[in-house]
Amino acid sequence: MKVFLLTLASAFLVILLINVGYYGVWFREKPRSYWFSFLKEKDDTTAEEGIKNARYGISYTISMRVKAFLEKKRLPNAIVLFEPNSYYRDSLHIYNSVRAPEPAVFYYYTGLTGVWTNSPDVNKANFIVHITRTKGVTIEEIHTPERLQQILAGFKKYPPIL
Amino acid sequence: MPAIAFLFLLICAWLSGVGLLRLFHLRLKPAYTHTLAVMLGVAAASFIPFLLQLCYIPLNGTTVFGALFLSALLLNIPAFLDIRKQGLRPFLHSQRPHFQLFRRGHVWPKAYEIPYWLVLGFLIFVSVWRCYYLPPTSRDALSGPEAIAEYAVREQTMINSFFDVDLWSTNNQFKSPFLISLQLIYKLAGFPFGQVWLSLLFICFTVFLYHALKERLHPLLAGLLLLLFTMCPEIYAYSFMILYDYSNMVFFFLGLYFLFRDPAAIGPAAPAPSPHASSSLSFAGLLLGIATYIRSETVILVGLLLPAILLMQWRKTPRSIKKIAIADALFLLPSLIAYYLQTNLYIQHYLPVHYNIGSLVNNHLENWSPLFQRYRDIITVLLFGTFATQLWGYIFYLFITLFVAELIFIRRLNRIARNWLYAMLALYLALGALGFTLPMFNLLETTKRALFKLMPLVLLYLANNELLLRLSGRIARWEMSGSPASHPAPAVAISKIKKKGQKK
Repeated sequence: MKVFLLTLASAFLVILLINVGYYGVWFREKPRSYWFSFLKEKDDTTAEEGIKNARYGISYTISMRVKAFLEKKRLPNAIVLFEPNSYYRDSLHIYNSVRAPEPAVFYYYTGLTGVWTNSPDVNKANFIVHITRTKGVTIEEIHTPERLQQILAGFKKYPPIL
Repeated sequence: MPAIAFLFLLICAWLSGVGLLRLFHLRLKPAYTHTLAVMLGVAAASFIPFLLQLCYIPLNGTTVFGALFLSALLLNIPAFLDIRKQGLRPFLHSQRPHFQLFRRGHVWPKAYEIPYWLVLGFLIFVSVWRCYYLPPTSRDALSGPEAIAEYAVREQTMINSFFDVDLWSTNNQFKSPFLISLQLIYKLAGFPFGQVWLSLLFICFTVFLYHALKERLHPLLAGLLLLLFTMCPEIYAYSFMILYDYSNMVFFFLGLYFLFRDPAAIGPAAPAPSPHASSSLSFAGLLLGIATYIRSETVILVGLLLPAILLMQWRKTPRSIKKIAIADALFLLPSLIAYYLQTNLYIQHYLPVHYNIGSLVNNHLENWSPLFQRYRDIITVLLFGTFATQLWGYIFYLFITLFVAELIFIRRLNRIARNWLYAMLALYLALGALGFTLPMFNLLETTKRALFKLMPLVLLYLANNELLLRLSGRIARWEMSGSPASHPAPAVAISKIKKKGQKK
């Protein structure tokens, strides 16, 4: 009987804890929601690539589009310049939804060399990724050093940020 | 295939851990032995690819798994010697107590423990699934250890093409090889995202913590405290998101737990101190050394523990200065070695890119106002307020309430509670000082995650709070009154019952 009463007490404490104040909010938004994700994920046949796409979001999608583009062009040694994130923040106002990957993470995603406007190898960049509100993601080949300098000059007032 | 590889890694981890426990002559309850063995084994494994790398041995399945197996065997040499001396049958017989896990009253939970374990089991399951299914996501991992591990698998070396990339935006390539090594091992085992080693730590730590709490409190209270800890939102998130801080918290806590068990060091926390008390101190040193290997600044915390240890050794035990010096040197040595391995050998002399740690130090150390500001911010931003609730839930509020109540109503703190409070204070002072000295040790990321280490200390303080101990004693007495004792009640409760009986 005493064990039964103690069991009731512990059950009551557990129910109270997972419903009270912030614990209730957290339990619904995190573990419970993760459980519903699990129910979908366990039957999902998505390969590793699909899982990464869903998990890493836009930055990964952009990186993989660049990779696909360069593979199609058979340019595995291309050096890709990314626009500064401060440009997305201060000029395009899309910083909350779009971020250019930092070179280390871009390399992790794709195995390709990426540079930012302050990278030591920025002068070797031969492609640039443009992101705009209207056109989305476009990749421009930089044909001449003059064009590269023109691009870099345009971003002078936008320092690279994460 | 990954399942077989995982089983192999689990066995290697357990064997290595059991070997280490044997080296320190630690005889613990089965629940402690096996959980601790796996955690120690995971930590031991994290040194293997790193050491192979230091010897310029290519990192592939054969070398890494071979070295893991070999190290597990080497750590068990004393056991093999015992088998040779005693014979296999007597040796196995002598090991029986370690395997009597399911003896009545040992691990089988009472009915009132089940509701807690249902929720804990649910939280563990969800965490393990996410650890297995999802790729690492934290930016600190992707721009450093995870990327290095990924290319180490492809190029068979930790000094790989990742270091040819522009690393201006990150310093994560300079972090401990702990994460790189474990990610490498589990990726080689066939887990594309690695990570599952973290679930081993999470599960074993949860079980260990529950038993540590149950030593002091009735399971009704122990389960509640453990649930409060597991439901710390921020800590839970890092149980399936690889980074350094969760593992650092685990080994820092374990180090303190064994330090406080050593009666010669700070005072007995365990009801029945080990006959090999001084090995408990050096074992604590080993665990803190692992914590330092994971996060190098832990060495400062280890240093801050030393004055208290010295003071208590001097006061309590009639040891000679030489013996104290040797015991304390053995306590400090693993942390110093771990610090040297990680910051001097690996970063300064091994990595192809260099890191000037001196340049990270605050240039205005004469101005102390940022130091006090940091101490204030830790309290007002990270420990109390809306943001703090989102990080830790209400556990810190519970701590303050019971601490103040203990001061008001009991007016004294028992020795074990004082030990944990001392550790909490040392941590708080060290984190403030680190934030002041190293501006990169920022408040909302680095200090926040470093505060993970505080929460198990809070939990163990609560388990030694006199008010909770009295409540626990009352529950245990009420439960045991009128029925034969079928459950091993907490030692504290039993001692109180005995005292009461003696008075009568």
